Amino acid sequence: MTTFVDQVRELGVKQAVIAKTDEVVERITAGMNVNDVRAALRGDEPRRPNPRLRPHADSFWLHIRPSFYHTEVTNIYPTFRLGWLSTFMFVWETITGIILMVFYTPSPLVAYGNMWNILANVPLGQLFRNMHRLGAEVMVIVVALHMLRTFITGSYKKPRQFTWATGMILLVLTLLLSFSGYLLPWDQLAYWALTVFLSASEAAPAPPAVNQNILLIAQGGPSLGANGLLRWYLLHVLLMPLLLGIFFFVHYYKVVLHGLSLPPGREEIGEDTAKRVPRDERTYFIPDLLTSELMWTALLSLFLIAGSLWLWDAPLETHADPVVTPLHVVAPWYLSWSQGWLKLADKTIIVGFIPLLMVAFIVMPYFEVGKSRRYADRRVGLSVSMVFIAFMLVSNWMGTPEFRVESSPDREVSIKVLPEEGPSLLMAVPYEEIQPGSYLPGQVVSGSPHLTEALAYYKTILEEHSCTMGNPALTDFHVAACRIEEGGTGEKRYGVGINNKEAMPDPYSELRVEEVQDGLLELNLYYEVANPDDLNEILNISDDWVKHKHIDSNYEEECRYFNKC
Amino acid sequence: MQVKIIIGTVSFMIAMMVLGYAAIRETTRLERFSAARTGRQIEMGAHLYNQNCATCHGVYAKAEECYDAGTGEPIGCIGLPLNYNALLCGDTSLRMEAMNWSGTKEAFIQSTLASGRPGTEMPTWSENFGGPLRDDQIENIAQFILNYETEELCSAPLVVFDWPDTYEEYSAEFPEGDAAHGEELFLTLGCTGCHGNLEDEASATVGPWLGNIAEVGGTFVEGLNAEEYVYQSILEPSAFIVPECPTGPCAGPPSPMPDNFPLRMSENPQDLQDVMTYILGK
Repeated sequence: MTTFVDQVRELGVKQAVIAKTDEVVERITAGMNVNDVRAALRGDEPRRPNPRLRPHADSFWLHIRPSFYHTEVTNIYPTFRLGWLSTFMFVWETITGIILMVFYTPSPLVAYGNMWNILANVPLGQLFRNMHRLGAEVMVIVVALHMLRTFITGSYKKPRQFTWATGMILLVLTLLLSFSGYLLPWDQLAYWALTVFLSASEAAPAPPAVNQNILLIAQGGPSLGANGLLRWYLLHVLLMPLLLGIFFFVHYYKVVLHGLSLPPGREEIGEDTAKRVPRDERTYFIPDLLTSELMWTALLSLFLIAGSLWLWDAPLETHADPVVTPLHVVAPWYLSWSQGWLKLADKTIIVGFIPLLMVAFIVMPYFEVGKSRRYADRRVGLSVSMVFIAFMLVSNWMGTPEFRVESSPDREVSIKVLPEEGPSLLMAVPYEEIQPGSYLPGQVVSGSPHLTEALAYYKTILEEHSCTMGNPALTDFHVAACRIEEGGTGEKRYGVGINNKEAMPDPYSELRVEEVQDGLLELNLYYEVANPDDLNEILNISDDWVKHKHIDSNYEEECRYFNKC
Repeated sequence: MQVKIIIGTVSFMIAMMVLGYAAIRETTRLERFSAARTGRQIEMGAHLYNQNCATCHGVYAKAEECYDAGTGEPIGCIGLPLNYNALLCGDTSLRMEAMNWSGTKEAFIQSTLASGRPGTEMPTWSENFGGPLRDDQIENIAQFILNYETEELCSAPLVVFDWPDTYEEYSAEFPEGDAAHGEELFLTLGCTGCHGNLEDEASATVGPWLGNIAEVGGTFVEGLNAEEYVYQSILEPSAFIVPECPTGPCAGPPSPMPDNFPLRMSENPQDLQDVMTYILGK
């Protein structure tokens, strides 16, 4: 074995360095020297024996990746690269998550303050938080699409039933990861979403003793508090990622073992030729798929960074308050379907049904009879799945706040014009544009275009929750006539619209603005109606809906993102 | 494949440029968000103040306009003014000096909120000490109160009237008192909060009833007649503490009665004569 110094003496410095570099590159790539790498990048045919196969045998990082794929599975169809994308999202979440972990402590005393610290003091803190949250939502969508694709192409059938089963477990773990992470900001949104969802365990069809204990374990106590936050944090950063990693490797090992299933039309019915890839239909991992994967990594990173910066912003409401329940507790959108289902049946049935559904999904491939993966032969299965998807989408919509039980009409208007949490058109009006005084809905304020827009919106919402008794005082209100119902105690209820939504009869409403401190405005929504039975009697029906607006609060910037105002 | 390499490299470069752009704008963004954080704390503090503090400290924190939480009727403010030069102005405000506080102004306000002032009507607010509010809520209220400090508040010179030592000297300067105005002041200065009204003995819930002070005032301190006693009691509450209060023995020393009336009445020293005229029934 010649040493480096001997080589220098023999060949001269330049040649010796080139030779050494070549040797080092071959060791790092586990089998490809510099010329091999250059040939691969140029797209040349490999030399024999093919050095591009050795990394798969000798290196750790590539040993689980196949050295070649069937050309027909390497295009967008049939996989849409969704499995790869799911893995990418998991790695993305891990990296952004670990960075966020540096700045977060899972204690109710400091968690919320940590969130504001990340947003206001940590350089690029808001970006990383947004990337992590956006990544989580994208990951849930991607994983669900991956499952849908696998079903549609029939790739779950024999011999891949176990791959499907592990995939279902991965889906559940993904949802649990998203759910556990949802609690960590410890704001009103997080606290109440989790409180409501964990209370589902009380509704399970099991003896109360079991249910109570499950709830206690899930919450860490009689209600969600310090213990609950800590255990969901540990689930989120330790147990779930570990389980996800383990099941991922089982899942992917099986994928490689059986080979990626070919497009259904390509094979004979009941045949699985995925592993027997003819030489002329091979696409090698190095260089083709590796460059593809690197390209998609770069592209997706760009989209996620740009999206988190300019298009989308993670919300942060006010500090979690166990004593104050928000008027509408919203589920994370990917669990909205369960809230929709709760409107269809009793909660015991739903909470009992969901685990059964999970088990049914997991074992489905083992009970399936049909051997064909071709679409024409699976009309029933595909139709059922489409109906199921449609049902899920409708349930998701039903679970949103649009479909909820309504409060009194004045409160409904207040919630939209000056919501309890977050920005709104009115809160986002630049401070200088709002002068103290009172404003009518729909009023045009010269020199204040944003305020005018907000007041126009105020008028629109007010009209949606109003009806008219023919009272001539409000002629420029475009509302339908009231439908009057008398309650048992002689109380009258005024309704309007297709679903007879409760409405205010000919209301008078105004926005009252007062400057209570330097740079602090108090915004107060006031409502009164004339008693339709005695027009001389004015009833003040306001419930003291007050919000404060500080000159520095920066709601204007929040409203810029499309998911906010 | 060359296309893929190019696309990948270009996207990577663009991603780095996007990150760089974000990084360049970070400093100003962080400032904006820090200010927004404080702004929102002040908003929450205003809301909490209205819910918890306004009944005693006044709607504008001047201890001038207080309303009963249940009935909405105007009542006397039993708290001290917070929107107040002596509390908020300067690095070490007059109030901090008077209370021998050597820490920061923010810490002074937070600590008062958190532990209250035992022996006075100021309750304990922090849940760490048995109160109803969380640490972040205490911080929000403190930020709200600190936000009352403005140039306008602090530039107006603080008037401190040099109160004469005896009532005799004082009444030489201010001989006439307006009882009707005194009755108004009895409410707005917060006397009714502890002493009730002069008609009904049962209305005094904290401090001694003052309906008969003209008769009994001279019996407490050797050498002071009723007028001189009332004069001393208002300006130096802790100089003498009566033994009996409506709920038992009177608390203190120091007396729970606010000791900053000399400052609060400095702007208009005639007010004291009006109040005394009303109290003594002259």
